[in-house]
Amino acid sequence: MANQLTIKKSSEQGLIDFLTFLLETRKISAVFTLRETGKEGVFDYGLITDVQMLKQAIPLHPFMPVNAGQELSRFKAMKKQVAAVIRPCELRGFIELIKRVQGTPDHFLLISYTCGGALRFASSLHGKGDTNLPGYWKAVEKGENYKEIRPTCKACEYFVPMNADATVSLVGKNHEDECVLELHTEKAKEMAAGFKGEYSEEGTKSQIVDTLLEKRKAEKTRLFQEIGSVMKDLGGVVEVFSRCVGCHGCSRVCPMCHCILCDFESHLFDHEASVIEKEFSRKEGMRLPTDTILFQLGRMNHMSFSCVGCGMCTEVCPADIPVASIFMKTGSETAQLFDYIPGRDIDEPVPVTVYKEEELSKLG
Amino acid sequence: MRIGVFVCECGPNIAEHIDIDSILKTIPSLQEFEDIELIVKRHKLLCSKEGQQFLEEEIKANGITHLVVAACSPRDHESTFINVCKKTDMNPYLFKMVNIREHCAWIIPDKIEATKKATRYIRAGIRRVFYQSELLEKEIESRPDVLVIGGGIAGLEAALSLASEQRTVYLIEKSEVLGGKSTFYSRLLPRQQDSWGLVAQKIMDVEKNENIQVFTETEVERVVGFFGNFEVVVKNKKDEEAGTELKVGAIVLATGSGLLDPTRLPAYKYKREDNVYTSLEIEKMISEDGTINFTPGEVPKTVALIHCVGRDEKGYCSRICCTYMINIAKSLKDQYPETSIKVYYRDLCLPHKDDQRFYEDIKAQGIDFIRVLDTRVKGTTIVYTASNGSKGEDSADMVILAPAMEPSQDTEALSDILAIPLDETGFFQEAHYHLNPVGTSTEGVYIIGTAHGPMGISEAMLQAQAASGKILSRLIPGEKIVPEVKVAVISEAFCTGCQTCLEVCCYGAISFNEEKGISVVNEAVCRGCGNCAASCPSGAIQARQFTAPQLYTEMIEAIR
Amino acid sequence: MKGIAGKGVFLPEKEGINKSILGFLKTLLEKYVFDGIMVPMRVPAKNSYAWVLVREPSLIMKASPLAPVMPVQGAKALKSLTRKGKGTLNFAVLMRPCEIRASIELTKLNQIHPEKITLMSIDCPGALPLSDYIQNPEEGEKRFEALFTGESWSDETSKPVCQICDQFSWQPASDLHFGLMRGQKKGIFLISNSEKGQRVLNEMKLQASESVSEWKKSIEDLTKKRQKKREKRFEEVQTMAKGFEPLLETFAACIGCHNCQSACPICYCRQCYFNSTISRPDSDFIFQKAEVRGGISFPMDRIFFHVGRMTHMSLSCVSCGLCSDACPVSIPVAEVFSYVADQTQRTFEYRAGESGEDAIPITRYRMEEIQGVQNIVHQAEGAMSKDG
Repeated sequence: MANQLTIKKSSEQGLIDFLTFLLETRKISAVFTLRETGKEGVFDYGLITDVQMLKQAIPLHPFMPVNAGQELSRFKAMKKQVAAVIRPCELRGFIELIKRVQGTPDHFLLISYTCGGALRFASSLHGKGDTNLPGYWKAVEKGENYKEIRPTCKACEYFVPMNADATVSLVGKNHEDECVLELHTEKAKEMAAGFKGEYSEEGTKSQIVDTLLEKRKAEKTRLFQEIGSVMKDLGGVVEVFSRCVGCHGCSRVCPMCHCILCDFESHLFDHEASVIEKEFSRKEGMRLPTDTILFQLGRMNHMSFSCVGCGMCTEVCPADIPVASIFMKTGSETAQLFDYIPGRDIDEPVPVTVYKEEELSKLG
Repeated sequence: MRIGVFVCECGPNIAEHIDIDSILKTIPSLQEFEDIELIVKRHKLLCSKEGQQFLEEEIKANGITHLVVAACSPRDHESTFINVCKKTDMNPYLFKMVNIREHCAWIIPDKIEATKKATRYIRAGIRRVFYQSELLEKEIESRPDVLVIGGGIAGLEAALSLASEQRTVYLIEKSEVLGGKSTFYSRLLPRQQDSWGLVAQKIMDVEKNENIQVFTETEVERVVGFFGNFEVVVKNKKDEEAGTELKVGAIVLATGSGLLDPTRLPAYKYKREDNVYTSLEIEKMISEDGTINFTPGEVPKTVALIHCVGRDEKGYCSRICCTYMINIAKSLKDQYPETSIKVYYRDLCLPHKDDQRFYEDIKAQGIDFIRVLDTRVKGTTIVYTASNGSKGEDSADMVILAPAMEPSQDTEALSDILAIPLDETGFFQEAHYHLNPVGTSTEGVYIIGTAHGPMGISEAMLQAQAASGKILSRLIPGEKIVPEVKVAVISEAFCTGCQTCLEVCCYGAISFNEEKGISVVNEAVCRGCGNCAASCPSGAIQARQFTAPQLYTEMIEAIR
Repeated sequence: MKGIAGKGVFLPEKEGINKSILGFLKTLLEKYVFDGIMVPMRVPAKNSYAWVLVREPSLIMKASPLAPVMPVQGAKALKSLTRKGKGTLNFAVLMRPCEIRASIELTKLNQIHPEKITLMSIDCPGALPLSDYIQNPEEGEKRFEALFTGESWSDETSKPVCQICDQFSWQPASDLHFGLMRGQKKGIFLISNSEKGQRVLNEMKLQASESVSEWKKSIEDLTKKRQKKREKRFEEVQTMAKGFEPLLETFAACIGCHNCQSACPICYCRQCYFNSTISRPDSDFIFQKAEVRGGISFPMDRIFFHVGRMTHMSLSCVSCGLCSDACPVSIPVAEVFSYVADQTQRTFEYRAGESGEDAIPITRYRMEEIQGVQNIVHQAEGAMSKDG
């Protein structure tokens, strides 16, 4: 079966046509994708069942109001099929959640795209998104990092989706020209059957993808070094996290933080007066509330190796701490110790659940 | 999981207004029930003996685990169907009753609309029952023991009537001695018996009785629970430590009364003049010395007895004063035959069989009865307005007041502790004036004697025996009761100890655990009203059988 | 300012208000009047402030009695100190009036045990929006300095809710108040409200001998101005909040991060109802909803969360504005919630944080209350019976 479908419309319109086809033929019951809500400059993810409403969809726009992987994990198994258009990092997040039994993939047709990055909130809300779009698409076509995308996006080397059923090629192309949809799985191919478009075998990989990959790797090295130079010791860690207000917003928007009641919000961290007083008596002064930094380190410990660098945490931080960059660095370096890449393989177990007699030799 | 859905025709009540056939077709075909095993059937009259049997057989034959019955109001037959469930292997709390009679058939004239609504409700019921959990009923033995509060004549009588080998009576008394106010009354009409003698006998009987435990200088601190299962804490006034816990099945309030303090009524100059006494003071004199003492050696020339002191202020007649006042009048006349004794009364309340003759006799002895509208004490003079309007003045070396009877000082506090209301007079409110005079709004709590209202010793005895009779017949030793199983449950992990639930619980079923800093539900006392669950912002407390997921699901489905 | 003492202790200003106050606090520690004092302190990176419970007298000179920003609500910091019991040490906390009020509310909810805490409040000119400050801390410091030392406190640079705050000074429930006198006689008034406050003055051998009437008048004048501003602003906010459609519009950009709830001092639940699985709908329901409407938004139940949160905490809302500070998509949460809180508290004749004795309306029952609502019900019943 052919594994590339070209639609002679803009990438977004072509995709919308494809989704419309799937919905009209009842191959799927709903589409999960970004859409404009009609309110000024406001967009969100929607579950769309009415074909008419697909007209409001903006599936490929560089917006990420929430990590879609987190939302998809809310769907328990059902018979209905849903086509979901999500970013590569959101997809990786979803895969990581599936490994932890927090979601199932069976009822989703997972469509992703080669990703030029997601805009920061400040650059996408209140009408700013529209002003940034032209520049953004140009950068994507050229294989460059657009200036207003998230810091972790600029350093993301996994912008080619893994584990998608179908992928739209955006990087290195003019998104107005055509829509190129690569069909990776049998499911995708079956779904596409009957849709009018140009079918072919997979085309050659765009060189621009490689260009962008190099740029991203370079930026990753630079970013990690920058973080590393500030946070080289406990003092550095304290300095960066000292303005944390303990809102735990980072944890709430993180797809990997799926705990119903975070340890750091439980009784465990509600200290008895005697404990606090003891701690107090040993210091010149004691910061309140307690355990601000411990929360950050604890969260790192619990999930950073599964961090997919989506950048949601930085976006919601009221104190503008570059949480995503920090966690992505720590996470990526920790995961490396286990040869682990989050979201790469659905059957690859999470490192904490695996014991090998020979591992962590570097540390040993 | 296999859900049985049974639609009752309720004779013509439902069948004629709702298209049951269409419901039987629609429900199993719904997509959301695709993966659920549903058995949907109809029956003419499920509550009938035959209907119940049908239901029981269906449950057993089909291995039904969850039951939805669409019929009348749960108030009518929820318990009927729960009992059917109990005859099967099914847990009776995996049952939901949907009201398609009062809520649909009886109020919507259009059959199509009524059917639509009924269908929606049944869908909601099925979705809800999905979220219900098995609840296990526990049986506890009802406690046959009884707490009697107050060691006066009424309390003593109740204790003696109730106590037996199978039933311990805890008799608590706030003062140091038993006997109460009736120990002070000297001679009782009509036979001029010594009251103290009667009471003394009762006290001896109580003290000898092995099944009665007496606690003097003790008061009630806390009461929670319900009929058959009260948990009471009583505390000795001198004890520094925590009180004693008692577990009883019924409580008898025999806390008695007091007398209005006439200093509140300046017209009578009580405590301002030396010669003004209350009836109780006179009674005490008689019982101690056998005589009424004026200034030693002297004989009063005139004695005035004033009735109805405080009657207007209180707004009720204290019933026994006229009776005892004529008694005092006679004692006075017997002791001082030459003294002029005048009785100033508003109305005469002499209801007992022998009162009339006694009254006639003492009138013949020369005691004057003057009907007045009001009286005032001015030094050794009584100034009054007679009932015909004329003003009069009489001299009075000694004035004896008959003050109104008042509820005892602890009444308000006890009302709070026991959640028994007081009526406008301030005495405890009975359950029903005519039909249930010794019961109260709380099942298992009884009021007897002057705690209930003004009355004499014979009436107090009557009430004591009545309350005892009720308890003896209803609180049977060895009987089992099943406390409410649909109680509230607090999650330790989520509770922050704000005590909002504790504040809104009217049954005292929630307490605060200081060490853990969380609130805790006493399941034996909780009535499952759900106030607490409604008040908790975090959902840390949930009411079993009415949890948020259950309610949420049902509501969403019903209004969709 | 009902119940305020007529006289206070006047401390003339030396080297600026901050230093004067800090000097006073230092003496409190040196003389062991308190074992520790909780004050805001600038963080090492100099781009924000955090609460520090200071033990060492010399360290307190590095603190800021009034910080330009309020990253963490003082009541929350106090809660972390004394939620599980009152402890054995004597502490004092110096907080803004809204933080004092929030502490009173939390005390009623058993989240703070104040027996060994002396609450000290200070006149507050407002705080700057947090993100503004963090983006340019130097500029932020300058702006706040101007706000703080300026003659007029009706400034436009503080947070929107601060600009309409009418409870920015003396609080009936605090133990000791620092009134700031500007104009010719620059200095600080120490006004004691309670035994705890009096103890401080006694131990410092200070007499409340100066009349506070001049200062009081200046505060009352400004309060009136602010009240007018508040009413006017609430009229505007009404269009944002009164009704379902306006709320949908106002909260359209909400991403359901619940930062507002975690920043709020009143939201004390260990697990917010709206974060739990209790109210999470299952897939079938999500689908059905989507089918009925043709499409639904994610995250779901946005307005349910906000209105639900309002229901739970509105009676105790102190208009501190941390919710707006914490919102990553710049929704004016604080103004909307303040407006609603104003209405709900009025309905129960209750003002959050005013008195430790006034029980929170949800825990008390009065036979006659909510007359306004009852009237609406009666009207409706009357209308219904007319229709027959």
